[in-house]
Amino acid sequence: MQNSSSLPRLEDPSRLAQRLMQKAHNQDGLPEIAMGLFFLVVSGLICAQVTLPHGSIGFRIVVLALAILIPALGLSMPAALKWVRRRYFIERVGYVQHKPVGWKQIGFGILVAVLVAGVLFGVVPRLSRPDGWLLAGTGVFGGAIVALGGRLPRFLVNGALMAATGMILAYSGVSLDRGFAILYGFEGVVCLVSGGVVCLRFMRQPLETGE
Amino acid sequence: MSAKIQRLGEVDRIIHEPARLMVVALLAAVKEADFQYLHQSTGLTKGNLSVHLSKLEEAGYIAIQKTFRGKYPLTICRLTDLGREVFANYRKVIRAAL
Repeated sequence: MQNSSSLPRLEDPSRLAQRLMQKAHNQDGLPEIAMGLFFLVVSGLICAQVTLPHGSIGFRIVVLALAILIPALGLSMPAALKWVRRRYFIERVGYVQHKPVGWKQIGFGILVAVLVAGVLFGVVPRLSRPDGWLLAGTGVFGGAIVALGGRLPRFLVNGALMAATGMILAYSGVSLDRGFAILYGFEGVVCLVSGGVVCLRFMRQPLETGE
Repeated sequence: MSAKIQRLGEVDRIIHEPARLMVVALLAAVKEADFQYLHQSTGLTKGNLSVHLSKLEEAGYIAIQKTFRGKYPLTICRLTDLGREVFANYRKVIRAAL
């Protein structure tokens, strides 16, 4: 009689596909470069907001940019990545047409956003040192998203760095604006360097022709 | 041996081969993908991948279309209706056994 330990290792085929697609998505370093640039833009705008005189035209432009440009950049990143890959990297990464995002995923995203908003507006203001909690929470939550988004060692390191930076900034007592500027700026540089190294190594691989 | 484990003996042998399973699982998760994407994602050599794609096409599980994107030749693969049905059954059996 065969016991289950002698059977070949089985894996849910859907999980197998997700794992392979995630690996393909991250192999050229482009998502990290995009994330790094995004974080640096956010950090730059926050720095500008802190530096510019309140009520000045520059200050208002920066506030508008934070409110409109940042969400727009975030939402357009997947399409931009797709365009860059198809225009410049298609010979190396190949061509794929993904299925449209399902209602389940959209619903899950909305649920997470509602939960985060609930914590931000409902719980954090009641805590002592809410600025510190916001910085630490952003670092830890953001770091978790980075680590889970990639599931490769370099993403785990990046995520841990972001979490640690958030907690250090919270402990240091720095103001919220400056804290966010430093957190996003640091993580932006880390993602840019990490993604850049991966991209260069990917581009250096010899291109095999033929099928 | 439980009935669920015994059902593993009924799985489609064409899909159950590890390399072909990777290909079919990927194609089930997307609308379509080209040869180079499958080669990069699965890590199979081009020759090996070519052989497995031929087997899947012979079985009627995938359709292969050769086209161009500008000057770049594309060999686009997508699951057929039969392929989706067979993969769905396969996935049901595997999930039940897990």
